Amino acid sequence: MVEEDEEDGDAPEAPIGLRKIIHVDMDAFFASVEQRDNPELRGKPVAVGGSGGRGVVAAASYEARKFGVRSAMPGVTARRLCPDLIFVRHRFDAYKEASRQIRAVFRHHTELVEPLSLDEAYLDVTEDKLGIGSATRIAELIRQEIRAKTQLTASAGVSYNKFLAKLASDQNKPDGLCVIRPGEGAQFVQSLPVRRFHGVGPKGAEKMAKLGIETGADLAAKDVAFLRQHFGSFAEYLYRAARGIDLRPVRANRIRKSVGGERTFGEDISSGLLLRETLDNIVDIVWESIERAEAKGRTITLKLKYTDFRIASRAHSLPHNVPGKTEFARVAHGLLEEMLPLPLPIRLMGLTLSNLEREGAEPERGRDEAQLSLL
Amino acid sequence: MKATIERATLLRCLGHVQSVVERRNTIPILSNVLIDADAGGSLKVTATDLDLQVVENMAAASVEAPGAITVSAHLLFDIARKLPDGSQVSLETADNRMTVKAGRSRFSLPTLPRDDFPVIVEGDLPTSFEVPAKTLAELIDRTRFAISTEETRYYLNGIFLHVAEDDRPVLKAAATDGHRLARFTLDQPAGAEGMPDVIVPRKAVAELRKLLEEASDGNVLIDLSASKIRFTMGGEGGVVLTSKLIDGTFPDYSRVIPTGNDKLLKIDPRSLYEGVDRVATIATEKTRAVKMGLENDKVTLTVTSPDNGTAAEEVSADYSSENFEIGFNAGYLKDILGQIDSDTVELHLADAGAPTLIRKDEKSPALYVLMPMRV
Repeated sequence: MVEEDEEDGDAPEAPIGLRKIIHVDMDAFFASVEQRDNPELRGKPVAVGGSGGRGVVAAASYEARKFGVRSAMPGVTARRLCPDLIFVRHRFDAYKEASRQIRAVFRHHTELVEPLSLDEAYLDVTEDKLGIGSATRIAELIRQEIRAKTQLTASAGVSYNKFLAKLASDQNKPDGLCVIRPGEGAQFVQSLPVRRFHGVGPKGAEKMAKLGIETGADLAAKDVAFLRQHFGSFAEYLYRAARGIDLRPVRANRIRKSVGGERTFGEDISSGLLLRETLDNIVDIVWESIERAEAKGRTITLKLKYTDFRIASRAHSLPHNVPGKTEFARVAHGLLEEMLPLPLPIRLMGLTLSNLEREGAEPERGRDEAQLSLL
Repeated sequence: MKATIERATLLRCLGHVQSVVERRNTIPILSNVLIDADAGGSLKVTATDLDLQVVENMAAASVEAPGAITVSAHLLFDIARKLPDGSQVSLETADNRMTVKAGRSRFSLPTLPRDDFPVIVEGDLPTSFEVPAKTLAELIDRTRFAISTEETRYYLNGIFLHVAEDDRPVLKAAATDGHRLARFTLDQPAGAEGMPDVIVPRKAVAELRKLLEEASDGNVLIDLSASKIRFTMGGEGGVVLTSKLIDGTFPDYSRVIPTGNDKLLKIDPRSLYEGVDRVATIATEKTRAVKMGLENDKVTLTVTSPDNGTAAEEVSADYSSENFEIGFNAGYLKDILGQIDSDTVELHLADAGAPTLIRKDEKSPALYVLMPMRV
């Protein structure tokens, strides 16, 4: 699974009054853009991404999802699940353009927009610009405006914090809206399988299942000490999440520190060949997130977790931003080779790009505060 | 296709077109150049990024078999660069490969079919006029530094060209980033009357300027519509640059050009430039402002930095209005002063919060407006 590091690096959470948060998530974004622009693809199973050799599915249309095709799945696996799957190449320019239109719709209602990627964002509409007041009404308007401007559908979740809003947007996908009202959060979370919690991957869910935790209610029944014993630093988050609590503010100018991803394996890995293949796979997945996040960075870090849970990592910084996937893969492999031979087999491998500069961001921003404007 | 060409010719031509090709491409064929050898003994090389296209003709030593193919622009350019000076380069295609041979070197490069290569459809370009290459180069030099890089105001990401009737028919070029504005005016070329207002994107401007370097004598033919512009340059074989125009409305910039500024400062632009440059040494990221204290026949430049102390320099000037102080971004001021090739520059000022007009003199085709900083 891919995790994007969302740390802010600044002040800790402050208590916040009742807020109105919307999470908007485009439905099968890349695939929908392709189907919109090429009528021949409509109604058919479509995957954006490489079909050949080690290509990875970046996005799958809903028709393809019926066959079990998922993003980050190797192209060959997807093809096996759905022999009629049509593979199309990325057109990031088209996605960025659609993303630009969508963000313009958001800004029509609020400046407090925290984009998570091209196709997903949190909005704080506690004080919306147009004075509509009802977050549900705003979410409906946003979905309509997005459809009118881009001919694409979006799902939205409305609630009083980010965690719940994100869960809600996932609830009635595609083209759906779900509202979790104040007071309903804890109850909503109770019935959910833990896998739906942001941050709980397949391995994490497996581990919880062994501890008898299947749903939010099971999780809520455990105390912090128990969770800390089994999940370490993840415990606080799980404890709050199980109660529908999330105090993180929507950060309009959040600066992302890194983009990365990691995979936990079903079986421990030690052979050099297998390690290199695994790394290739992670390179594909992580590069995909990097492009999606429009991130540019200089430092690449490879992280390994041994079977005794010790973590080893090694980083390399380039004098310039990593120019492309080839260079990204080359540096990643160089890092792996430096760590070979491994003292123990590993159970997890992760790759991160950091030292980020946002694409299109103006590093000179802020300096111009005293600069007066002509226009 | 089989053709032989002088290495120097190939290198010069690829040098012109390769920078159009983006280093990072999600669509593979956009990394390639189209090479088209015709029976008449010339090679046509085309590069594109879908918004901008450059086509250059070069004379081949011989064309043994006409044909067309696409091959990686950067690879071929790098190869041509490293081949020995004076060598003859043979380009030959067979079995989806292109063989590049020179002396004892031999490269076999992957290709993509020419039919997949995207060509910009120019459509009808009803306006057509000529401008001397030198004038066009000056127009670009005087204005491009003020082009905005802020993508949210995309309509400022280029040079605005429009015709007007001042005291005579003129063609004007303007660029602004909201803090400063540059305008260049020339007599209206025959054929330009009634042309639509257009915004030429920054990348097209940069590529055009490079091509003009070698076309310094003679005229450039400009054909345009409201959506496309084409520049045809002479030179050996000729180069044609076609670009999409920015689809947006340039703001009515004439309203920010001050007409009633009553304080006139005349000063040697070189001394002022050097003085600003010296005192700005201690300016940091946060404090880029240089303060100008205007007194009778003298300007005192000062920079105060919380971290680095203070700096001051006096520059003699011709000034007789009331004393006052005004701050400017040191970099912006230097950008403009660097444009003035004369012993005197005129700064027309009003007050510390109003736009300042800067020009060589009233006959100068170039005019600049700079907004102050609050200091």
